[in-house]
Amino acid sequence: MPGADKETELKGRIEDFLADLKRGGSGTGALRGSGEMARETTYLLRRITAQARWSSAGDLMEIIRHEGRRITAAQPSETTVGNMVRRVLKIIREEYASTASGTSAKQNMVDHVIDGLVEDLSVQIKSNQILFVTYTWLGHEMATGLSKVIIGTQTVLANGGLRAVNGTHSVALAARHHSTPLIVCAPMFKLSPQFPNEEDTFHKFVSPHEVLPFTAGEILSKVNVHCPVFDYVPPELISNIGGNAPSYIYRLMSELYHPEDHKL
Amino acid sequence: REEKRLVEYFRTQVRQDPEVPSAVAAIRTLLEFLKRDQSETILGLRENLTQTIRRLEEADSSVAVSSGGELFLRFISLTSLEHPDLSQCKKVMVERGELFLKKISLSRSKVAKLCHTFIKDGAKILTHSSSRVVLKVLESAAADKKRFTVYVTESQPDSAGRQMADKLRKLNIPVTVVLDAAVGYIMEKVDLVIVGAEGVVESGGIINKIGTYQLAVCSKAHNKPFYVVAESFKFVRLYPLNQQDVPERFKYKADTLKAVEDLAEEHPMIDYTPPSLITLIFTDLGVLTPSAVSDELIKLYL
Repeated sequence: MPGADKETELKGRIEDFLADLKRGGSGTGALRGSGEMARETTYLLRRITAQARWSSAGDLMEIIRHEGRRITAAQPSETTVGNMVRRVLKIIREEYASTASGTSAKQNMVDHVIDGLVEDLSVQIKSNQILFVTYTWLGHEMATGLSKVIIGTQTVLANGGLRAVNGTHSVALAARHHSTPLIVCAPMFKLSPQFPNEEDTFHKFVSPHEVLPFTAGEILSKVNVHCPVFDYVPPELISNIGGNAPSYIYRLMSELYHPEDHKL
Repeated sequence: REEKRLVEYFRTQVRQDPEVPSAVAAIRTLLEFLKRDQSETILGLRENLTQTIRRLEEADSSVAVSSGGELFLRFISLTSLEHPDLSQCKKVMVERGELFLKKISLSRSKVAKLCHTFIKDGAKILTHSSSRVVLKVLESAAADKKRFTVYVTESQPDSAGRQMADKLRKLNIPVTVVLDAAVGYIMEKVDLVIVGAEGVVESGGIINKIGTYQLAVCSKAHNKPFYVVAESFKFVRLYPLNQQDVPERFKYKADTLKAVEDLAEEHPMIDYTPPSLITLIFTDLGVLTPSAVSDELIKLYL
């Protein structure tokens, strides 16, 4: 039956996506970088909206929430995926509030808006080029007078703090010490309604063989080496997140996501 | 007279159920008044309600009674434009009042649900004086099988901290009472500070039992997170810039205000903590940074 085929095809795609997520995270594998991940998630959600069976906005939200939970469980440190799911849920709520007509009209509307979201994403990814900063020379440079420090981040948290690549906290502290403004550039899909209290999902650790290779010998049995990928940068050290103060983040958050969707 | 009877009703409410927030008791009283009221016009009704709120404020000078009363008034007044007929209007007002009461009775559990995830296993928590909301938060965290220890300040002049310690002991939570003056000494040992609030002001700061400001300054100096837990009906339309800006009627107990001539001799019971010292505020409207409070306040009062 054609209906059953579509369902199995959809399930297959979701499973593939989950496998990609588990394998790579960002940086390696098919899903390289948060932008790519955000785009893939949106495509998947659009597919689910088009092909899954639902008869009311509530049904659709439940389906998306269910899939969203599975996807975020696959790679908890990748908040982009969860953010996209929450954004879509907010879009559905908005559409439901503004339309009064039947299901087919709704379906078209939601598809239309998700298309718009994908467009939105491609524009943002092009316009927010992340500038490369060399960490080793930074302290020296700042002492002799840099005008500003611009960094990217993996996630912007709900309190205005960041979850950024290891070393960013040191950069932020150096900038604060030399009174250099610290500016963060991040696309909207990196804004996450999380707070920095969730210990188990905050950090991701990788193999320390780049710091202490296996050829180091005897010493390996005597030391414990931890290699976290991310750093927490508190909001007090940040001057600006793309035109907004860190204390304004809550406002952007309320425009993008609905409070009930904070916990999927 | 009628007003005396209502104040008595309020006092009995508070006495019968010490767990209920004083603002909820005040709103129950106002609802009762609404049902009994005999005024002929909507304006008369509003005036009577405002008078009653003022009487209740004289009976209990806490900020929450004042803010709760004002919110109740606003919540039900939205109906007065829709129904020209007074009896119809009053019926709708009573319905809305009941709805409002039901909503705020659940707010404490909502706050506890949001906050207890911020308490990690093995945490050492410092709290100030006796707050029923903080108690609920710690209760939820304990029910979630988390292990933590609590330090409570004694909180003079009424030693409210000791009552808090007793309640915590009943929940099998290890607790130590510390002197108010020992806050600086104990700060290096604790992981986080959680306090309740009597009122949350527009700037995102809080009004709470005297000694809270000291606690906040100390925790900032030691870089410890300072969390506030408060229900949304405590949001009040004040913007104090310093300690002197807080209105006198909130600073002292109701009996003191009536009995004493020269308030300069009295010790204030509350102080103001500015938003720069507060990390996060947990309310039934969500987890807010102090800068988000004014937005939420506007939404509530509009």
